[in-house]
Amino acid sequence: MEPVAVGERGLTYDARGLAEPEAVAPKVAVVQGDSATFDAEGLSTRQINLELRRLLYEEGVLNVTVANPGAKHSLGVGILERCHLRFGGSLGYFGLGLIDGPEVVVEGRVGWSVCENMMSGVVVVEKNAGSLTGAALRGGDLVIRGDVGARTGIDQKGGTILVGGNAGLLTGFMMQRGHQIICGNVGPGLGDSMYDGVIYVGGTVASLGIDCVEDALGAADLEFLARKLSIYGFDQTPASFRKFVCGKKLYNYDSLEPNERKLVL
Amino acid sequence: MTTNEPATSAATERHVTIDAEQLAGQSFPYQHDASLVEDVDLLAATPGQDLNWLEDVTLLVEEGVPAVFDRYSNSFLKIYFPIPEGREDEIARKVLVKHLQEGNSYGIRLKTQHAKFPQPMLGPWVAGSARVGEDWSPPRLAGWEAPSGH
Repeated sequence: MEPVAVGERGLTYDARGLAEPEAVAPKVAVVQGDSATFDAEGLSTRQINLELRRLLYEEGVLNVTVANPGAKHSLGVGILERCHLRFGGSLGYFGLGLIDGPEVVVEGRVGWSVCENMMSGVVVVEKNAGSLTGAALRGGDLVIRGDVGARTGIDQKGGTILVGGNAGLLTGFMMQRGHQIICGNVGPGLGDSMYDGVIYVGGTVASLGIDCVEDALGAADLEFLARKLSIYGFDQTPASFRKFVCGKKLYNYDSLEPNERKLVL
Repeated sequence: MTTNEPATSAATERHVTIDAEQLAGQSFPYQHDASLVEDVDLLAATPGQDLNWLEDVTLLVEEGVPAVFDRYSNSFLKIYFPIPEGREDEIARKVLVKHLQEGNSYGIRLKTQHAKFPQPMLGPWVAGSARVGEDWSPPRLAGWEAPSGH
């Protein structure tokens, strides 16, 4: 099957789903010692990711700066190595997914599902993030200095999500483990159907979701909050946060319909 | 890595959950000797300024034995030596990191054959690890041929 050029960028494509079947790292980076910089303008998502992997895996580079990422989707995914990355702009959706080890700074905003399934590492986003931030996060620190959209940390299985601004509805939806620290306000349905984990909120809570309850802050909570806030330069007082956890009344829920269960509860 | 320790889980032994020893076919010295994990530097082994992903790792009990969960193989790694009071989570984390750094996690062992794109063999826990996945090709069943038209 012959690939054909389609779309505004004229990318080659074939019906098997192999975009750019003959993708090759563009080798445009300027490497100096263990650091490298390259301009992503004019490069496709796959070319940018191939260049990143070439630098990290083949050239032994430990610090990479990507200029002009142009809010392209799925950038920086699947990096499984300790390294430092800096994106000099914004990322689109599913940025930095499936990573294990990198320490990343995004100077702009990010689209939805940033750091989906991240295993370990540190990601700091200097501005806002879309919905589903840290979806299914399994470990590491994800810091958003601005606001986030809905369903932050949906299905979160570990790690810490720290939001400097406000969070939307259903924050911590179906959360199973880990921590969230929301310095601002949160929308309706906080912690809806969460199984476990802890959500700290510094501002107001529009409403709690099903089976999410408030709990008292303990010494371990205050130590954890003080440590994380200090590391990432937030000046809120740990004692000013409220703590929300799972009420564990849904643990044995297996036969009633959701609406019936609400009546029981 | 090999060990003289007898495998506590024979291949035919049944477990409710996945057991790391059963996957590997052997147990490992650091499951039996605390001195082998004392020098593990947890902060150095994790990204950032604190324990990062290890923050969520705690000492658990599996089949009545202290154990730590290895998320890279979805299995429990049992710890047989006495654990000092107050150091439960620290010891669990050190045993797990030792297990990963030595490449004994079953998920890591599978990388040699099944990794589909280039990546470090030992993940982010060891600097300068060997690469795997650079010459992956789909496995073929001996004697099997694709139906005509495929």
